[in-house]
Amino acid sequence: MAFSKLVDYLKRDAEIYPEKIAAIAGSEKITYKELYAKVLERSAKFKKGEVVAFRSSQDIDFLITYFAIHQAGAIAAPLEKDIPESRFKEISEMISSSSVPEEVADILFTTGTTGKSKGVMISHRTIVSNGENLIEGQLFSHNLLFIINGPMNHIGSLSKIFPTTMLGSTIYFLEGMKDLDLFFQALDYPADKVATFFVPATIRMLLQFSEERLASYKDKIDFIESGAAPLPHSDMLKLCEVLPNTRLYNTYASTETGIISTYNFNDGRCTPGCLGKPMSHSKVIITEEGKISCKGDTLMTGYVNDPLLTATILRDNTIFTSDLGVLDEEGMLHIKGRESDVINVGGFKVAPTEVEDVAMSLPEVKDCICISVEHKITGRALKLLVVLKEGETLNKQRIARFLKEKLEAYKVPMLYEQVESVKRTYNGKMDRKYYTNNNQ
Amino acid sequence: MKERIRQLLEDALPLVDFDSDFLFRELDSLGVTTILMTLSEEYHIKLDAKDATPKNLKSLDSLVALVESKLAKN
Repeated sequence: MAFSKLVDYLKRDAEIYPEKIAAIAGSEKITYKELYAKVLERSAKFKKGEVVAFRSSQDIDFLITYFAIHQAGAIAAPLEKDIPESRFKEISEMISSSSVPEEVADILFTTGTTGKSKGVMISHRTIVSNGENLIEGQLFSHNLLFIINGPMNHIGSLSKIFPTTMLGSTIYFLEGMKDLDLFFQALDYPADKVATFFVPATIRMLLQFSEERLASYKDKIDFIESGAAPLPHSDMLKLCEVLPNTRLYNTYASTETGIISTYNFNDGRCTPGCLGKPMSHSKVIITEEGKISCKGDTLMTGYVNDPLLTATILRDNTIFTSDLGVLDEEGMLHIKGRESDVINVGGFKVAPTEVEDVAMSLPEVKDCICISVEHKITGRALKLLVVLKEGETLNKQRIARFLKEKLEAYKVPMLYEQVESVKRTYNGKMDRKYYTNNNQ
Repeated sequence: MKERIRQLLEDALPLVDFDSDFLFRELDSLGVTTILMTLSEEYHIKLDAKDATPKNLKSLDSLVALVESKLAKN
């Protein structure tokens, strides 16, 4: 039976699978019946129509809060776990005074295709449509254990609670992947099938340090999804070799478009750049300029408080992305690059101007530019090229820690270099293309 | 060796405080991977996920001890 809200599926799960484990985190477990009872209890804290900003965590408490907000008819705005307090306040104040359409369920903060952090409004219908796309496109099932290892304010992880709740499956939370033993313990959990989502850097790490151990789970891992940033073809091929029986998906999705298409690259062809056919709630059209545009029920409602910015990418029920792509004769989408200054670092989008603006407020910095360079682990990494005032010396730690006080951790560059000047175009703008072309 | 490791790791991970005695707590998966890759490349030692324990990554001193024990086995 289809419901219009995710929390209605949770209620149904509590009724028909009361003793089934809904989620596991460390030594904690919760059944669907217990989870729904806690959600009802906590929902009394929230008011209908209220926007609730909260720090996300990869645990059962996150699920209770998230569902309780929906149960109360309020709007969930999960923010980065370690977001600086000043930024948390700034965002909370901004969204609490915003007018949000009634159908909105969540506001997720991302770096929009045009630059600074924007609140993307997601409706209940979008959530359910994303869930249905994943169930159909990746064959989620009731007896699946899904391991979530990424931040819950990011669509890549958050979206996994949509199909699992709709099917009454089990979620296993991990706080990141730094302790690989804990990941393998999760794989050992008694379940028929296990699946997970990895950003490309995690796949690189597993192949580098745990290839044999990963291979020993080849019959238990049902599928692995990757996305958010391009997976190198060599890693795709290696993963197919290590896990020959596992479906390995590359997905085209963003907070704004929702989950659009997915491709099982363990299909004997392992086509790089292929993102599969659009799923049932989605349609892809390639514009005359060769850019990917998307239609369907998974699209965002708009950017909160910013109708003008919304109109730059969402018109006629279509989202016009900056991604370049083609549809082949089989109807499969292939991505060819991106026409935007926004940098994708391990799946997180960063507007270089935001980093530069903060760095420029340091007294020793005369000029700077934030660029993207190749990195052996993350694929791409941020690098800050800094022009210092006379007599100053470069102190990477000081700059990095200053940026960390003002920005989310993923926006802080890993690499720093002192330069004589920043290259500019004839009209004085930073010549970002020069750095892109010279740092491939 | 300790200062060389400090310099290499501070360069690769400028946000991490390598004077901390709770280093593992400060790191994310990218930080752990970066440390393992940096040390294995610099000292030509084989490190894998089993070496990435909270004990081995507790502090700069414990990292030095890890490298020394791997070198001794080589």
